Amino acid sequence: MKTTRRKFLSTTGTAAAALGFPAIIPSSALGNADRPAPSNRIVMGGIGIGNMGRGDHGAFLGKKDVQYVAICDVRKGAMNQGKAKTDAKYGNKDCKAHDDYREILSRDDIDAVHIATPDHWHAQMIIEACRHGKDVFCQKPESLTLGEGSLMVETARRYGRVVSGGSQRVLQDYKSTALRCWNGSYGKISSINVNVGPMSQPCNLPQENLPGDMNWEMWLGPAPWAPYNSKRCSGSFSTSGNSWRSYIDYSGGGMTDWGAHHFGGATFTVDVRDLQPQEAVLGEIDGKKFVSLKYPNGMEITHNKPGVGHFHVGRDNVQREGKEFPKYAGSGGITGDFIDCVKTRGRPFRDIEYAINTMAVPHLATIAYKLNRSLKWDAAKQEFIGDAEANRLRNRARREPWQI
Amino acid sequence: MLDQAFEALKTYQWGVDPKAIKPIQDAVVATHGDSAARGKLESRLAAVLNTDVPRAAKDTVCRALKTIGTSGSVPALAKLLHDEQLSHMARHALQTIDAPEAAKALVAAIDKAPKKIKIGIISSLGARGNDVPVAPLAKALSDKDAEISTAGALALGALGSADAVKALGSAKVNDTNRIAVCDAMLQCAESMLAHGKKSEAKVIYTKVLKSGPTKTAKIAADLGITASS
Repeated sequence: MKTTRRKFLSTTGTAAAALGFPAIIPSSALGNADRPAPSNRIVMGGIGIGNMGRGDHGAFLGKKDVQYVAICDVRKGAMNQGKAKTDAKYGNKDCKAHDDYREILSRDDIDAVHIATPDHWHAQMIIEACRHGKDVFCQKPESLTLGEGSLMVETARRYGRVVSGGSQRVLQDYKSTALRCWNGSYGKISSINVNVGPMSQPCNLPQENLPGDMNWEMWLGPAPWAPYNSKRCSGSFSTSGNSWRSYIDYSGGGMTDWGAHHFGGATFTVDVRDLQPQEAVLGEIDGKKFVSLKYPNGMEITHNKPGVGHFHVGRDNVQREGKEFPKYAGSGGITGDFIDCVKTRGRPFRDIEYAINTMAVPHLATIAYKLNRSLKWDAAKQEFIGDAEANRLRNRARREPWQI
Repeated sequence: MLDQAFEALKTYQWGVDPKAIKPIQDAVVATHGDSAARGKLESRLAAVLNTDVPRAAKDTVCRALKTIGTSGSVPALAKLLHDEQLSHMARHALQTIDAPEAAKALVAAIDKAPKKIKIGIISSLGARGNDVPVAPLAKALSDKDAEISTAGALALGALGSADAVKALGSAKVNDTNRIAVCDAMLQCAESMLAHGKKSEAKVIYTKVLKSGPTKTAKIAADLGITASS
């Protein structure tokens, strides 16, 4: 299996920043004090408007510097509600409704999209959006597999796109803890434990009658074909069988769903967002398995380690020096951060590379649990060392005709 | 338990509790490092594909063979490649089986495959990368069907070799495949940069900068030229 080009990525990432890539917003058009002129707004479309997408839609629709012009959902009900909400906001009928996201990506008038589909669509849509020159805000968990994660980062960097993940909780929930860690209040942190789960499971639900307003082929997309079942595609937050978040073909389960938040908080708190683990060591205490993710700088993130609290704190009270504590750009939380970065071509707080590095943690742990053994990971090559079977689990074939 | 799970496969329809076949997945893990046991398990699984068990059962078998399949499973999997219902899951295994026979089976299935399946096979060849010949992908690139041509382009980009660049350079570009062809060129340039071939990469970037189909492509080329300087 081929490896990736991450060595190049580090080069282009630097180059992109140095070039100060061209903002897509025309600077010649000035708006009034209350709201930028139409020509100076970010023109957006939304893909996947149920549940989390509904919230993201509302957040972007509420921004003065966003002009929302298109909605996409494979459920007509959600699609029509999204259009109605958008049209009501602007007092017109201009929002276009689509059930195929490719129609949105092919529109030259759209600058950015937000994506809140099930996870099995994220890589496909992010990569295609970047190829079409769109900036992207994508709900977490950003990746379903290790392999598609690196492809997403590569494509975003290739086109100099602003791509932000969507975990609002990393900074919202863990800021005070992270700040104490960054300023040395806890001393030198050696290890941080994350309790989260469960992993997703195989799905073999029976066929149910397909609702008339659902485009089932487009819901499945690159995932293996399966008959319609309301639990299979429910967007509820269940990870115990009542939603797509429970099942392997669409999600990593709670391990990646809440894990995107918790591991995101952990990697931010101990400042390893630039890194991926080099080992996933399977351990066992009192009959309970856990995984220790070891980083090249000596940091350790453990998953579900029995009998420990959330932090191991060393005795030496080392102050971190010379590194500014990250924060959102602009205003309005993580969606405001994204919009500001679209304008400035800055790096979002949950830049896609940070997000993918974070998602590598639960993906590596999941493969270690599934194979019931410890694994060594070469982050530069994006491959397991000396474990061909583990390498086979990095990627999944995409159902035809979907490809990236 | 394993025997019961194989028995359960015979009637494993949608709606049956997956616990019935869980011992198969357990055996996949348990036989790691035991080549005799692993070989026996693989043979049993591959044999199931030659029976008329339900689709969900064959899906399950393909998922297991994704992890443990060898050249021994390739003939059984290859037979499914033209099956509209099972082609994807056969590729699920064949895409990752690290035996040259798997790549050969995928290549051999291209010509007679219907359009949609052909696109899938081409996509899997691109994902395999290393042991895949350029010629069938170049042929796909030159297909009159723009979607097949797009698939060929993206697969060639994934290969990233000098031969892939040559094929892409002679592609007939149209509105449907132009973004994919350009992206494939850029992927090849990145591959060359990663191998220290800066001048070769710069040639590609310069070409894209001059004739790239979109502003986005030209931005990418501009970035690449900086990186390759």
